[in-house]
Amino acid sequence: MKVTVKRWHAIAQWQWDTGTRSDPNTEQEGAGNQTQNDDDEDGDGDVCGICRVAYEGCCPTCKVPGDDCPLIWGECSHVFHMHCLLKWIGTAASKQQCPMDRRTWVTAERKVAAS
Amino acid sequence: MANFDEIFGEQWKRSVEKICGASESSSLGFSQAWEIATSALKPRPLNEHPPPRDQALVLAAVQRIHKAKMTPFLIDSFLGDLRKCEHFIESEINESMGRYDASQDPNEVAQLIDRLAQWYKHWVPNPNSQSLYKTFQLAFQTHLFSFLPLSFPDAFKALLVETIGQPVESNVIVFQRFEVLGFLDRYESLLASVVYQQIELRVAETCPKEWTSRKLADLRTWLKEKIVPWLAAPYARGARTVEDARAMVSGIISRFDFHVCRTLCDLRIKEIFDIIVDYPDSMDALIDLKECLTRVDQRPQLVTALRKANHKRLLHPGADTKDILSQYVSTIKCLRIVDPPGVLLYKVADPIRRYLRERPDTIRSIVSSLVGEGGDLIDESEQPGPVQTVAEDFSDPNWEPEPIDAGPEFRTSRPSDVITTLVSIYDSKDLFVKELQVLLAQRLLAITDGNFEKERRNIEILKLRFGEAALQVCEVMLKDMTDSKRIDHHIQAQGQSIMHPTVISRHFWPPLQGSRLRMPGQFREIQENYGRGFSAFKPDKRLRWLPHLGEVHLDVELSDRTVSVEVSPLEAAIIELFSSKPVWSMDEISVKLGQLDHVTVQKGLLTWIEHGVVSDQGDNTFRLLEQASTSDVRPAARPMDIIEDTSPVVTTEQQQADQMRIYWQFIQGMLTNIGPMPIERIQGMLRLAPGYDRTVEQLGGFLEAARREGLVLFMGGMWQLNR
Repeated sequence: MKVTVKRWHAIAQWQWDTGTRSDPNTEQEGAGNQTQNDDDEDGDGDVCGICRVAYEGCCPTCKVPGDDCPLIWGECSHVFHMHCLLKWIGTAASKQQCPMDRRTWVTAERKVAAS
Repeated sequence: MANFDEIFGEQWKRSVEKICGASESSSLGFSQAWEIATSALKPRPLNEHPPPRDQALVLAAVQRIHKAKMTPFLIDSFLGDLRKCEHFIESEINESMGRYDASQDPNEVAQLIDRLAQWYKHWVPNPNSQSLYKTFQLAFQTHLFSFLPLSFPDAFKALLVETIGQPVESNVIVFQRFEVLGFLDRYESLLASVVYQQIELRVAETCPKEWTSRKLADLRTWLKEKIVPWLAAPYARGARTVEDARAMVSGIISRFDFHVCRTLCDLRIKEIFDIIVDYPDSMDALIDLKECLTRVDQRPQLVTALRKANHKRLLHPGADTKDILSQYVSTIKCLRIVDPPGVLLYKVADPIRRYLRERPDTIRSIVSSLVGEGGDLIDESEQPGPVQTVAEDFSDPNWEPEPIDAGPEFRTSRPSDVITTLVSIYDSKDLFVKELQVLLAQRLLAITDGNFEKERRNIEILKLRFGEAALQVCEVMLKDMTDSKRIDHHIQAQGQSIMHPTVISRHFWPPLQGSRLRMPGQFREIQENYGRGFSAFKPDKRLRWLPHLGEVHLDVELSDRTVSVEVSPLEAAIIELFSSKPVWSMDEISVKLGQLDHVTVQKGLLTWIEHGVVSDQGDNTFRLLEQASTSDVRPAARPMDIIEDTSPVVTTEQQQADQMRIYWQFIQGMLTNIGPMPIERIQGMLRLAPGYDRTVEQLGGFLEAARREGLVLFMGGMWQLNR
């Protein structure tokens, strides 16, 4: 007996790869998959430290999530909505620091270049 | 008279003669004149004629008496004679009425009246002196009416009814007789009641359940053709010209016209509910009703009747929400025809709206008709306008005062479209938007061919109603659809895949049913390949599959046949397992697919059993049928009826229940720490909790549910934990 799939209309959700979770490539392992599922079960996932909206949502000024409201990754491992962070950096009070750990903000090159 | 002569005697005679002068006294003596006059006036039976006499002589005699100022005495004597003869009439009347009572034939009455008129004519004083005639008429009528039995008015009525159908000419004679006998004055009210009765009869005969033509016009034509000519005889008698007659009749006709309107109005009000059901076929009836209402003030009755009918026939648990809605919409449309300012509608609609607000599925029904899913609540021709409550415009030059029967809360509403009215049942639009989102999600996820133009169009229309901002979420959902298509296109270009997923932004979609399903074998490979493709295209994103959603087209190639089916991913996963080994137990499948519960697995297996690909071996094991077995194919006996909502999207009620579960923690804490509490206090405390927006009723419903589960007790108005 053989099953031939002709067409599969599947449903998926996209997520930002914030680097805090296991790499997608290692998910093939059963255990890895299990933890990922557990991660997902716990609800809304991580939120932007500035606007407190989920990464997969969008910053308060945007209406459309995803590529129109991307994330920005810092070397300090903190991740924000790009618009939120740029706004913060733009204020004098920020002193160009990451709002979470007060280290000077340095954008993680790899991620930004990739996006 | 004898007394008179005795008292005054010769002296009187002499003086009279002196006064009267010689010329006339010479021609006629007083006693002679008296003799002539009384014998001429004397009433006799019909077959007996007064002795032939020269009219001039009688006249002269009367004048002679008049000269002598004896006329009153002459009249007295005449009346005395009349009284002596009245038994003729009496017996005649009794005879005729006796016959009528037996036969109920109006002709008897007609004959009687004919005879009476003859009597009258026979007795009428010959020399036509005005005072004599008047006296005679009065006396005759007095006697006549005193003889008429109690049943006469009815008999007369029957006769009148009879005359309605007769030609005008014959009626004129009949009515002249009535007039002569004084019936018309005496029975005027009877005459009117005959017409009223005719009108009512006519309405009852021609109008009930006839809503497709203008009955009012028909009735008026009938009135004009049948009744008005008939009326002319009694009411326009003595009219000299046509204009005169018209003027005399017009008053009475407008009274009857009013009665026509009133009767028809009463009838339509009684039928109003069914008229609304039949809308728009019953359009003409509504226009009739409108016309009637301008003439007759029956508006309060209409409101009462319709409210009562609605209460009895519509607003009960047995009625489908869809039906209530469509009846409500029809009511709106109908009453807008009848009463454009909307006062009636406001009064009638209020109970319906209140009732609809209490129904749990009202929103869903409205929304599903909004997106055009069965139901034709939306009139395509209607211009969609924004849903909003318009504040009163004080500079409106076309402003009109509110109708006088408007209640204090009535607000003149601009003729808004039906959807606006429906949406305004609820205080906020949010509920609709939420429900709309759920519905849209269901529809979008079901789309496989990437054609969602219809949904886009719907959303565009709804944007006009609800505003751009409210539907932002739906906009994102549609964008996800386009993006998925674009991304899929790109990924297919990189490397063919039979998978065409819809990638959604989860915060912008209503919560979807979760599942622990894990796809086995080739499916997992397909998923992973596609996921890698996606991440390559969008490096900072990855996909999280919702493996239980969607659908799979697949061929199952067996040794003697190929089964080509379209199944859910779960079913696909199960059959995939069978491709590695032919016999599986329920537990094995369950474990392999990610700890699924047995009911779910069973459901998937049943599909394959029905397709004849798998057979149930009993004791929870299943075998692949490599060769189609004819003997073994049992009519797929479903071991249990699994009725489950297959919708992938969590309904709003479920969402609410889920949210309520969070607050259960609060309630539990409260009841533990503080002890038994009344519901108001619980509500008050919960209001302090972030994001709590339930009403006391909702909380009550929840507590009630908790009580059924045995978590709490309700005693003496206080809620407490069940320990």
